[in-house]
This record gives sequence, C-alpha cells and structure tokens, in this order.
Amino acid sequence: MARFDDKLAAHQRELAAAHKTSSSRGGITRRGFLIGSVAGSTMLAFGVSGAALAAGADGKGSASETLSAGAFEPTMWYAIATDGTVTVHITKSEMGQHVATSLARLVVEELEADWDSVKVDYVDSAPKWGYMITGGSWSVHQSYQPLSQAGAAGRIALIEAGAQQMGVAVESCKARKGRVISGDQSLSYGEIVAAGLERSFSEEELAAIELKPASERRVLGTRGNALDVPPKTNGQAVYGIDYTLPAEIEARVGKTLHARPVMPPSRFGCKVTAVDDSEARKVIGYRQTIELKDPSGICQGWLAVIADNFSAAMRATDLLKVEWSKGDSYQVDETAIQAEGQRLVSSPSRDNGSLLVDQGDPAPLLENATTTVESTFTTSSVLHFTLEPANALAYEEDGHWHIHCGNQQQSLLTSLVTKALELEEGKVTHHQLYLGGGFGRRLHGDYAVPAALASKAVGRPVKMIFTRPDDSRFDCVRSPSVQRLRSGLDAEGRVVASEHAAAAGWPTAALMPAFMAEAIEGGGKLDSFSISGADHWYNVGTQRVWAQQNKVAHEAFVPGYLRSVAPGWTLWAVEQHIDELALAAEQDPAEFRLALLDAEGRNAGKAPVSTGGAERLRNVLKRVMEKSGWSERDSLPADTGMGVALSFGQERSMPTWVACVARVKVDRATGEVKLEKLTSVVDAGTLAHPDGAMAQLEGSLLWGVSMAMHEGTEYREGGPVAQNLGAYQPLRMHQVPQMDLEFVDSTEMPVGLGEPGTTVVAPAIANAIQHAVGVRLRDLPMRPAALKAALSEA
Amino acid sequence: MANFTLNGKAVSLEVDPQTPLLWVLREHLGLTGTKFGCGIAQCGACTVHLNGTAARTCVLPVLAAEGGDIVTIEGLAENDDHPLQQAWVEEQVPQCGYCQSGQIMQAADFLKNTPDPTDEQVTAAMAGNLCRCMAYVRIHRAVKRAATIANERATSQVSGQQTDATAATAGVGTFDPRATAGTVSHSAVEETSHGKV
Repeated sequence: MARFDDKLAAHQRELAAAHKTSSSRGGITRRGFLIGSVAGSTMLAFGVSGAALAAGADGKGSASETLSAGAFEPTMWYAIATDGTVTVHITKSEMGQHVATSLARLVVEELEADWDSVKVDYVDSAPKWGYMITGGSWSVHQSYQPLSQAGAAGRIALIEAGAQQMGVAVESCKARKGRVISGDQSLSYGEIVAAGLERSFSEEELAAIELKPASERRVLGTRGNALDVPPKTNGQAVYGIDYTLPAEIEARVGKTLHARPVMPPSRFGCKVTAVDDSEARKVIGYRQTIELKDPSGICQGWLAVIADNFSAAMRATDLLKVEWSKGDSYQVDETAIQAEGQRLVSSPSRDNGSLLVDQGDPAPLLENATTTVESTFTTSSVLHFTLEPANALAYEEDGHWHIHCGNQQQSLLTSLVTKALELEEGKVTHHQLYLGGGFGRRLHGDYAVPAALASKAVGRPVKMIFTRPDDSRFDCVRSPSVQRLRSGLDAEGRVVASEHAAAAGWPTAALMPAFMAEAIEGGGKLDSFSISGADHWYNVGTQRVWAQQNKVAHEAFVPGYLRSVAPGWTLWAVEQHIDELALAAEQDPAEFRLALLDAEGRNAGKAPVSTGGAERLRNVLKRVMEKSGWSERDSLPADTGMGVALSFGQERSMPTWVACVARVKVDRATGEVKLEKLTSVVDAGTLAHPDGAMAQLEGSLLWGVSMAMHEGTEYREGGPVAQNLGAYQPLRMHQVPQMDLEFVDSTEMPVGLGEPGTTVVAPAIANAIQHAVGVRLRDLPMRPAALKAALSEA
Repeated sequence: MANFTLNGKAVSLEVDPQTPLLWVLREHLGLTGTKFGCGIAQCGACTVHLNGTAARTCVLPVLAAEGGDIVTIEGLAENDDHPLQQAWVEEQVPQCGYCQSGQIMQAADFLKNTPDPTDEQVTAAMAGNLCRCMAYVRIHRAVKRAATIANERATSQVSGQQTDATAATAGVGTFDPRATAGTVSHSAVEETSHGKV
C-alpha cells in the first residue's frame, strides 16, 4: 500500500526531474557528486543537476569555473572553506530535536572532519532542496544514506587530492579529524582545499560507496554536545518572533509595521459586518484596521490591526469592536463531532474511508470465538501550544515575497502564500529561524498567510504575531477520535480475530490532499496519519482495520498533525484492548504480549529498516520487565498498580521499538492518580546523537504524561474551550514522575525519536490504573472525576 | 518618559507608560532574549530580574519598573558564564529553548537566596515555569549542578569543570525528583558503547 512517505518520495522524484529538465544542457542529466575549488572555498556538491556535469563534459568550463560562475544549482549539503571550516546546510527545522547536530554528525562521520570545525546553516527555501518538510520523526532516518555518502565522497576526494599534493600513494593515506595523513606527513582539509581540487562522482559511483562498518564509527553513537544549545542559554538564539529586518532591507522596502490578527468567531464562513475602532485609536502607535481578503480561503472574515509596534497592535485589538455574521461551523461542537465518530465506527464503510489492514473478514471467527471482547475508546481535542505563538514577517521586493518565520514544511508554506497572494510559482521564499516548539503545528504554513495579506494591503513589511488565545483558536488541533475494537479468543486463550475502526479528522485531507495514500485493493484514499499504529506487530489472527474520516470535525476546524499524530489515539485503544484480552484469557499482560509477538509472516521484519521485526519489540518488552520489577507486580501496596504498553513509533516502514511500564497509586476518595514511575526501554537502531536521543525520549514521554493526565480540551462555539494556561494545563515540573530510561545498544539503521515516546504512556497508565483498582478508563485525558465516577459504579 | 537601569546601564525612552515591560525590552530596546509566551504571567518565559527579584514582564506596565534595576538574560553574566549558563550547557538542557531565558532567570533568583537547595526546593521554585518541550529532568539537574558550580567557584576561585556534557552515557537516563540531594544524575553504571568518545 502506498503510504505518505512513498507519496513524498514520488513527489520528490517529480520535483527533481522537473528541476533537471529545466537546467540540463548538453544532454547529460545524470545526478552526480561534484567537487570544485572556487575562489578559495571548496564546494562539495551532491546531486548535481545536468548543467554542471554538462559544462565540464563538453569542454565549456571546468567544474570549478561552473561553480564560480553559478551556472547551476546543485543540491549542496556542505562546503569546506580554506580555513577548514565545514559548513553543513540544514534543510530541516530546528525545534528542539538538535536536528542540525545529528545531520552534521552523519556528514562528519564519513568525511572524517574535525567536529570543532563544523558549522551549520539553516537554508532558505529553494527548489534545489526538494520537498522541504521536518516531521514524522523522519529526519535522521531519511538523511542517513545520502548525507553519509556525501560525507564519504568528500573524504575520498580529499584523500586523493591530499595524496597528490604530498606526493604519496593514495593507499598510504587515511583521513582523521580534518586531516589527510600519510605516515609522518599530513595536510589539513583547509590546506588541501586552498591548493585546489576537482572531483566528480557519477550517481553509480556515489551509490557504490560503502559506508564505514559500525566498528569504525568515531562520531555516531558517541557523546557530544548539541550545536544549538549555547545560544539558547544566553538569549542570542533568534526565533521567528525575534526576527527584525536589517536596516538595509528596510531602506529599500520600507519600515516594518506590526500586526495582530483579529480572529472571527469560528473558523469557516464568517463575514465582517461592522468595525468600530474609535477606542483602539486611543492607543499610541495604532494605525489602522484592515480586512483581509484571502483567495486561498484560509482567512475567512479576518481583520488585522496595524500599528507601529506589536504591543500597540495587541492592546488596540482588545479595544476594537467588530461584528460578524457567523459561519455554520460556529454550531459544530465536540459533542456533535464525537457523535458522528460513534456512528462511523459502529458501521465503518468505504463511504467514509478505507481499510488499512484486511486479512479477511473477522466476523465469522468472532461469532465462533469462545470469548469476545468489545470496547470503545475516545480522545479529546488537544492543542499544540507551542510556547512561541504563531508569527511571521512578510514583505515584497521587486515582485518577490519573503517570509521569515520558523516552519516545518516550507514547501507547503510557500505554496499557500503563493495561492493567497495570487502569485506565479517561484515568487515566494521562506527564511528559516529557530522554532519555539514545533510538535507538528508548524507543519502548516497557514499563519504566514495573514501576515502576507496584511503586508500586501499596506504596502510595507508586516510582522504579525498571534497572542496565546489567538494562537489557540487558530490551532490545527489534534482531532478528537472514536475507536471501536472487537477481538475473539479461542478456548486456549489465543486471539483468533480482531477488528478495529477509528474515526477522526484527517490532517492530510485538510492540509495536503495530494499526499493521501492509496488504500489497499483499490478502496480509495486514506490518511495514514489518521490510523497508523492500528497496523501493529501483534499476531491477532484475522485482522481488519478501518480508517474513517470524521467529516463533521472538518466543519469545525482544520485537523492538524500533533506530535506522533494517529498513534496518539490508536495506541490508546490497541494497548488497552490487548490488556483487556489478556485479562479475558487470564494471563499476565506482559507475558500475553510476548506470546502475540511471534515475529512471523508480515511481522518478521525486513532489512535494513525493520530487521528483526516483532522480535525487537519482544526484546524491549523483556528488558523493561526486568528494569521495572514487573515480577513484583502482584505484591505492590494497596491501590498501586503497574501497566505496560508498547509502540513501534510512527510507521511500520520506520519502526522505533518502545516499551514502557507505568506505576501508579490511586486515591479512591478523589480519583486522583499519582504517577510514581515510568520505566522505558527503546530500540531506535544507531543513535546519531545519543544525548539528543535521550533528551527526545525524556521529553516525549513527559508529553505522553501531559496528554494522558493534564491536557485536552473540547471544541465549542467556534474554538477550543481552553485557550490559555489556567484552563489548559500542560505538565509542570512537580508532576514529573521518577523515570528510568534506556536505549538498546544497536548499530541497526537509525530510525525516528522525536515522537515515539509520546504514545505509550497513556495506555500504560490506564493499564496500571486498571491493575491498581480494577477500573478501566477509556476516555483521554484521564480525569480524576471520571475515575471517581467509575470507582463508584464498580 | 520611562527611566530605569538595564543590565547596568541607565536607560531613558519615550514610551506609552502602559506598555508591558516585556515589549519595551523586546521592541524598543531590541533585547529579544526575554520571550512572549502566554501573556498572562503563567508560563514564565518573560521572566527578568527587577530590583533583584524574578518578575514576569508580560503583564507589568513599564510604569511599574520606573527607576528600577532590571537585569535580563543578556545581562545575567559577563561572557555568559553564570553558573546556571555553564550548567545549562553541561547538562544540555534546552530543546527548542524558547522558555530557557525565563527558566534561567527564575533559577538565578532562587539560587541567590537558596545556595544549597534540596530537590524539593528546586522543584517548588521552578514549578511556575512551563517548558513545553518538557525538558524538566534536565532543568532540575542543571539547577542542582549550578548550585555546586557556584559553591565551588566561591571556595576555590576556580571556575568550570569539564565543558562537555554530563560525565555519563546518554544511553541510560534516570530521574528521581524525590531522591536525596546529589543522586539526580545520569547513571554511569550501565555505560554502553554510546558513551565512548
């Protein structure tokens, strides 16, 4: 079945093909790797378009001349200057995952560069970078092969040139810490570059480069600091909200004006009917209020308050009196959305979605099963609540638009602005900055649109900032969900069949419908981000999984991608359902899981990405049982329980193997749950940056705690009910449990780490609560009132 | 006209007296290290020191700081070498980093008054600062480490320890906020090959 990443890869190929066609000359369109020395700095160019090779091949100029003439736009991953500085170009967004450090490590490992000479730059959007997106925990995994090979190619070229310059045989040379060494002689990379070198690699040569064996690694898997940490301790890191245009740009395009959006009562269909700014005019610095006309449809019934500074815009907005005619979406609330979800999962069909897994019809097996277990699980709307609220600075110069803000999907952002401003393709550039949190919120580029529309309207650069409530109301929330699962056991307690239906708003349908995946058996499209996780690695006999699109949700808001996306709800259901089955089979839930993880058939795994398959999930489960003291589980104090849950990360095609045990103590009188401890063991293959990996695990598990017990809101009257702290309560330090975390030592293919930890925690806690007091909570987040009510019924 | 001392220098500027101090710092004075998070003094991203005490600036009119002594993250220490800043690097605390100026300013006020804090005191002092990336394990650890650094500097006049991250592997991590002082650290016991340099 074609999944999102397959679609993305296909899209990348199309872009690359189009790019090659437009720039190729001389009939050579092969991709290759090219190195040329230009004006004292070597550019190592991977994935060179035809023009460069053609220029060299037909004698019209050497590679270096081509580079210096700028006659082509190769995909350049890094450059080495004559002082030896290696600058790695980062196309991914830096939002807390230290991604630049990990990617630079991939290059440096094979290049054998000196880490202390490494710099990174976060590039502007440009077609040469391909489709620009940072999400899905994909960055290190997808960059591993290309960046490692680019690094290795550079090493080979530097050794060849260094050997020549030293007058020694290539075979006598090795590269270490930015030097080519032969016996007692050595040259630094900077010296070699200064002397000049040229080298090109064909696509075949590049693909044939073997990466170092794991035993030779000197960087990956080792300790080391993140490049972005120091500027984040002294106030020097520049986030989108901090960015101001340099004076020389303002001298050309005008001084920046500041804006705050005025949000309509609901997301869709609102129209402004009256505006009174008489009070707002009293704010010093207030200029005007403008209505935003948006051909792209993102901003329906929006205004923008324009002022000399944001503080004035913020306060003037509060004094503005606006009347709207409300759109229909104002009436669509969470109750209606969830009622539709219940309807969809009770009779799933191709009218509303497709099958993700279909191993035949489980119904006859379920009817003949000795025991059947059926249950329904729900989750509420969740906000991204990035601490840096949405913002963007937009301006036009000579017909070209520039957008400065932190963003996770530059390719979508620029296309949205293109549409909203009714521009030709290629007239918008995104300039990247640090992101004060991403979590999937900034996979959408919607917040750049009102800034650009306002700038167009006033003819000056505009920096627009959303206040916290503005940001919450404009958030592409994690859709609420409803799921129904039904499974059957035979007389021996084996699972013979299982069916699962999940209904939610579909983020991909809302944000980027062209990327919807083809469902199996010609059954239409589905959004894998609405159902991933349900295609788990347990052998549950004949399995069928339905993804259903809750279109009522789409009437109220734009469903978004929130850290981990679908597994945030699918695992909430699957991992509790497995526990329910274990209880029905009168087996220990961990031992029951071990038996289901037989690693046979489709669960055997495939090299190199999922080598070992379910066996690796068994491995982390066994280890977490040891670490957590699972064997003592039945001798815990009263009202104390332990629960387990597993995750395979985001996708079967890139599994991160996660096991988590939660230990809780329940206060029966209040329904309060004290999360005492989390124990987690993770196998993520090779860790490019182990300390960053641990930071992601710590943070993602605590995100899991936060969403399990503290976050969650509901959509009502056109927006989320909770729009700021007070009503919305992400986890604080005093709520952090004891934690005991471990990575499996592995040299397998690196996989994702930003998200996988988030999704195991809630079901582990729910299973622990059930173990502690015999009551199961099926609605997320778990609130004390719900537990108290359930206890009184029990 | 607003007048105050900012990072040791006298400042006078023409500004609407109702403007929150946060925006005076960010927009009028160009110091963007202090952040806008919630706008209702609940997240702590906008924390600075006003007359030596941690203060939330997003709801504080500049009028209320008239004549005051203000220190922001940019002015916390010359050469950015405050024990907290050193500890923040050694423990590799920041993820997105957006809240960290506020966390550090909050912690600096706390440590000044509580140079040998217990784990519970650290937690209580920092509970008002939201970290959306949930880097709490490291924030807690770094505050403790900063206290140690400050005490060592005071006794030996020798600043700094190692500049690399923690002395332990990243392959194993433990956190116990209720442990007695000194035990909140990465475990070095189960060092794996991830720990090699």
